[in-house]
Amino acid sequence: MTGPHSDEPGGEVAEHLGRLLEDDPADLYENAPMGYLSTLPDGRIVKVNRTFCAWTGRLPADLLDTRFQDLLTAGGRVFHETHMVPLLRMQGAVREIAIDLQRIDGSVLPCLLNAVELRDDTGRPVLVRATLFEATARRRYERELLAAQRLAEESEARSRTVQKVVFDLAAATSEEDVAVVIVQRSREVMKARGAALVLVDGEADDPQALPVLRPVRSEGLSRELLRRLRGAAGSRLALELAQGVRSILLDARLRGDQPELAAAMGEAGIDELVVVPVSADSKRLGVLVMALGDGSPEGLISLHEPGARRVMPPSEVDLLYTLGRQAGQALERVRLHEEMVRAGERSTFLLEAARLMAGAADVEETVERLAELAVSRLADVCIIDLVTEHGMHRPAARHRDPGRQHLVDRLRAYRLPVQAGGHPGLLALREGRTQWVREFDEQRLTAMTLEGIHRETVRKLCLRSVVSVPMAIEGRRLGVLSFGADKHRQPFSAADVEMAEQLALQLSQVVDKAQRFEFEERTSHTLQDSLLPPAPPQLPGLRTAVRYVAATQGVDVGGDFYDVVRLEHGLVGLSVGDVVGHDITAAAIMGQLRSVYRSQMVDQLTPGVLIDRLQGGWELFGLQRMATALFGLLDPASGELRLASAGHLPPVLCVGGTAQFLPVRPTRMLGAPPAEGPTAEWVGVLPVGATLLLFTDGLVESREADIDAGLDRLLEVVGRSCSSDPDELCDRLLGELAGEHRADDIALLALTRV
Amino acid sequence: MASVSVRNRVNQSGVLSGRPMLFAHGFGCDQTMWRLVAPEFEADHRVVLFDHVGSGQSDLSAYDFQKYASLSGYASDIVEICEELGLRDVVLVGHSVSAMIGVLAYHRAPELFGALVMVGPNPRYVDDGDYVGGFSRTDIAGLLDALDANHLGWSTQMAPVIMGNPDHPELAEELTNSFCRTRPDIAQQFARVTFLSDNRADLDGIDIPTLVLQCSMDAIAPDSVGEFVHRRIPGSVLVQMAATGHVPQLSAPEETKAAIRAFLAR
Repeated sequence: MTGPHSDEPGGEVAEHLGRLLEDDPADLYENAPMGYLSTLPDGRIVKVNRTFCAWTGRLPADLLDTRFQDLLTAGGRVFHETHMVPLLRMQGAVREIAIDLQRIDGSVLPCLLNAVELRDDTGRPVLVRATLFEATARRRYERELLAAQRLAEESEARSRTVQKVVFDLAAATSEEDVAVVIVQRSREVMKARGAALVLVDGEADDPQALPVLRPVRSEGLSRELLRRLRGAAGSRLALELAQGVRSILLDARLRGDQPELAAAMGEAGIDELVVVPVSADSKRLGVLVMALGDGSPEGLISLHEPGARRVMPPSEVDLLYTLGRQAGQALERVRLHEEMVRAGERSTFLLEAARLMAGAADVEETVERLAELAVSRLADVCIIDLVTEHGMHRPAARHRDPGRQHLVDRLRAYRLPVQAGGHPGLLALREGRTQWVREFDEQRLTAMTLEGIHRETVRKLCLRSVVSVPMAIEGRRLGVLSFGADKHRQPFSAADVEMAEQLALQLSQVVDKAQRFEFEERTSHTLQDSLLPPAPPQLPGLRTAVRYVAATQGVDVGGDFYDVVRLEHGLVGLSVGDVVGHDITAAAIMGQLRSVYRSQMVDQLTPGVLIDRLQGGWELFGLQRMATALFGLLDPASGELRLASAGHLPPVLCVGGTAQFLPVRPTRMLGAPPAEGPTAEWVGVLPVGATLLLFTDGLVESREADIDAGLDRLLEVVGRSCSSDPDELCDRLLGELAGEHRADDIALLALTRV
Repeated sequence: MASVSVRNRVNQSGVLSGRPMLFAHGFGCDQTMWRLVAPEFEADHRVVLFDHVGSGQSDLSAYDFQKYASLSGYASDIVEICEELGLRDVVLVGHSVSAMIGVLAYHRAPELFGALVMVGPNPRYVDDGDYVGGFSRTDIAGLLDALDANHLGWSTQMAPVIMGNPDHPELAEELTNSFCRTRPDIAQQFARVTFLSDNRADLDGIDIPTLVLQCSMDAIAPDSVGEFVHRRIPGSVLVQMAATGHVPQLSAPEETKAAIRAFLAR
């Protein structure tokens, strides 16, 4: 059997325990499971235990007379001076101060410190006693807690930022609004020295074309820096980088590859540019550029060593990426909105333009007013060139700003500069195709202008975008319609171009119609001039007066005619007539008819026979329209007068102030199927002093009253005005009977026997 | 707006008609820092103590992160205190960062101040080329870290007790470390603003009697900085103190009082 087993400590063990519990104060002090030290009020260590020495890796001899604060890390020293020393002095003790000791090998020992200040009778400090507990695990745990808390706070702050940005972007209605929000917010988030939103015009993804980078808003970045960034790597650098959130560091590589950009960054004290893609649905719209550098925006010194690279944490990268996407989506929405507004403006404009063109009196006025309308709505400059038979003509050139009108006035004098081969207007006219310069550059400007004043004037207009649309109808070139947008306006879009083309089409029709009308009018005048006898011949015993007044609508010529012909034996042939219609054809047929009846008159036919012959030969003569006519044969010597009418109104005879219609019985109109039997003639005498008036229905017909009322009125005026001067009578008649708006031509023939 | 006196917890004592002495505490604690020095001047001065907004028993609701993102926010508060109390010919005694805040306040309203006492000033803590401020960037990062470690003891449950019983300071006294207790986010920002400011240029153009009190073996404001400040302010008096550390008003109140007295008697 072995010795008895018992839970009670055996005699030997109990003895050892008893020894330990005997409280050897020295051992307890030296080997206590905590650091223990005493210092003078200024921190000099006067007593220290072995545990503390072991922890710090130093010998007691080295520690004595060393200041406690010199054993701390730099941060700990500051905390010691600013917190611990005042607290000890003020409240005599401190508890649970977290403090880091620096071991002799440089490593850090996190501790918790409690201390009391021992004072003399007068309250003056004499000694400080401090105990230190190692707190490595505890501190690590606390740090992790703190880090988790910070992370949660940061994540919350990021969500708040994104929320704010989304909220602000929702209120944005223009590119500029979006830019303001995104530049300001991202700058805040990154505490960036500066930020800018740079957008791409045209297709960013087109590998053929160089993208045009346009800064929309910039804060705290120099113009020079932006210019260099845009120019870097053939203007593709920013876009290449914008595949993701990237950094451009001011380092040796950048200095070698992009010396100008590097210089601009150095100049501005910026050592890192962060480029964030701004995109919507994988469409790259531009980039957000941020400048990071030494020094925070508040003017505080940066904690980062100058030149040392700060690595952007993934959470920041994510946030920036999100901001870029939000900005991209807002831009798309705003652009859509702007496009809709512009579409609305375009339709309003086209409507107004159509109304204007419908109401315009002539081409010059139309283009003038159209140009005015265009600069009030769609463009800054509108210039209209027309092709005329005398060459190019520039009837309209307008600027939106009256203050710059003098510039386009100057351009007006140049018309289309034929020597400037690249002029879009000229190209449009030559090639018969729309010319659209979305964004100008210097080269383009040079190609389209003449050196000297012309180029300088165009340059002063600060144009950025031009559209020239040719006007043509059935292959006939009519002119060019040109619009210009200056720098404050968006460049013309495809929809703008389409609108310009529609407008050009409308205007082409107006110009074409007007030009045709003008041509017809001119032709008919010529015709009329050649068809109407210049002036009635001087006839013995007769005074004659003739008038021809065109209708106020349509061409200036019609089928009305009058004629006074001297025949053999002193006889005089008279006629007044009206070919149906009011156009060139009517005038032409009138001319034919006159030739025909004049050839017949040679035979001194009486009016009735004349009418019968004309009726009979109407088809043979090739007269294609019907006509009314009144023919007369007068013997001025005896006053014998014969009259016959083919569907024409009767003439008026005025004797001694009394006017009456002569009862000439009309037969059918010329060209109508002839009536049975010969045409009746009225035969009578024109007394000396009497006046005979032959007229066409334009004189008595009006829209307001029926023809009987007109005839009554005619008799009344003739009776009142009749004298020995037929000219005066004609003037009076026209003055009183021919209104301002005449639907038909008027021909008058008045003759007084003297 | 609440009165500036309430906001900054202004305490006045001494002779109301005497020359005003305004004591400004530095980063870390509050106006109690001055309790061993200020009473000395009560016999013949109007002594004014206050807490910077965010420190001690100031009105925490007045703390505006934007306003106090630079020292000028604190400087404008000092000017406001002087204006509200109608102080003129003020002797502004500023400790540590408040020595520089005092300089900024002077530039803001020079007509208010008659003398500057700068206790342990440091216009730039971070070394910069030939200039030795005493700290590297890493050191400052370590300090911010040390602040974090100690703020874990801060409990929001305690705050109402501290702030809610201003009439019973003994209650607050019972709370350990209460003088130097600051809301963690405020302490962080104050530390940043204090240790990351560069106010060297503001030392130019000081046109009133100025005393620079330089402690020995001061880890926060080395001797060379005291000399730098003294050189930059023509006519200033530099007193090299026997006191060690950064808080002579607590560690060596007699020497501190004597130095200020001597300066004011000039």
